[in-house]
Amino acid sequence: MGAEVVTVSTDTQFTHLAWQRHEGELAAVQYPMGADVTGRLARQFGVYNEATGLAHRGSFLIAPDGRLMAMEVTADNIGRNIDELMRKFKASLHVARHPKKACPSKWKDEGDQTLEPSAKIVGRVHDALQG
Amino acid sequence: MTTSETSPLRIGQTVPDFQLNTYDPAAQDFAVFDLEAQRKDGKWTILFFYPADFTFV
Repeated sequence: MGAEVVTVSTDTQFTHLAWQRHEGELAAVQYPMGADVTGRLARQFGVYNEATGLAHRGSFLIAPDGRLMAMEVTADNIGRNIDELMRKFKASLHVARHPKKACPSKWKDEGDQTLEPSAKIVGRVHDALQG
Repeated sequence: MTTSETSPLRIGQTVPDFQLNTYDPAAQDFAVFDLEAQRKDGKWTILFFYPADFTFV
């Protein structure tokens, strides 16, 4: 498993360096810090704030084949939960390996119950989840 | 202006290849992130946008 995490803002890589070295909270951060100075990438993902020139808080999961698998965008001052992002990542890995399976909302990790969407469980998801 | 600039990416769409200048704290050096290289290595990518350095993320 493993995904490369890249943090992105409209700051330059030079500002990223200065911030990472200055801010003690970031001492342990090992992720590459991307410089989207023109906002081109943020615009592509729909998170560029034209009024401020800054990016909204948005997380995007991209599969090895380049497909966009999950996205989450929050309004100002609403932090994101890394556990939920990792859950989506693990679920994406699971369904990539098992294309007929679905990971329901309560699925957290390998071994948890999955569903196999079919005519049989239409209207009977509750029963299917009871196993 | 291309289509990708006017209409944001949606779920299931293929993200166009891009490169991004980075500062890599692990190497304590500047580098370039390249989505095409990620694809060729069979790797997943998580992009984590935030408004600005020197604020909370």
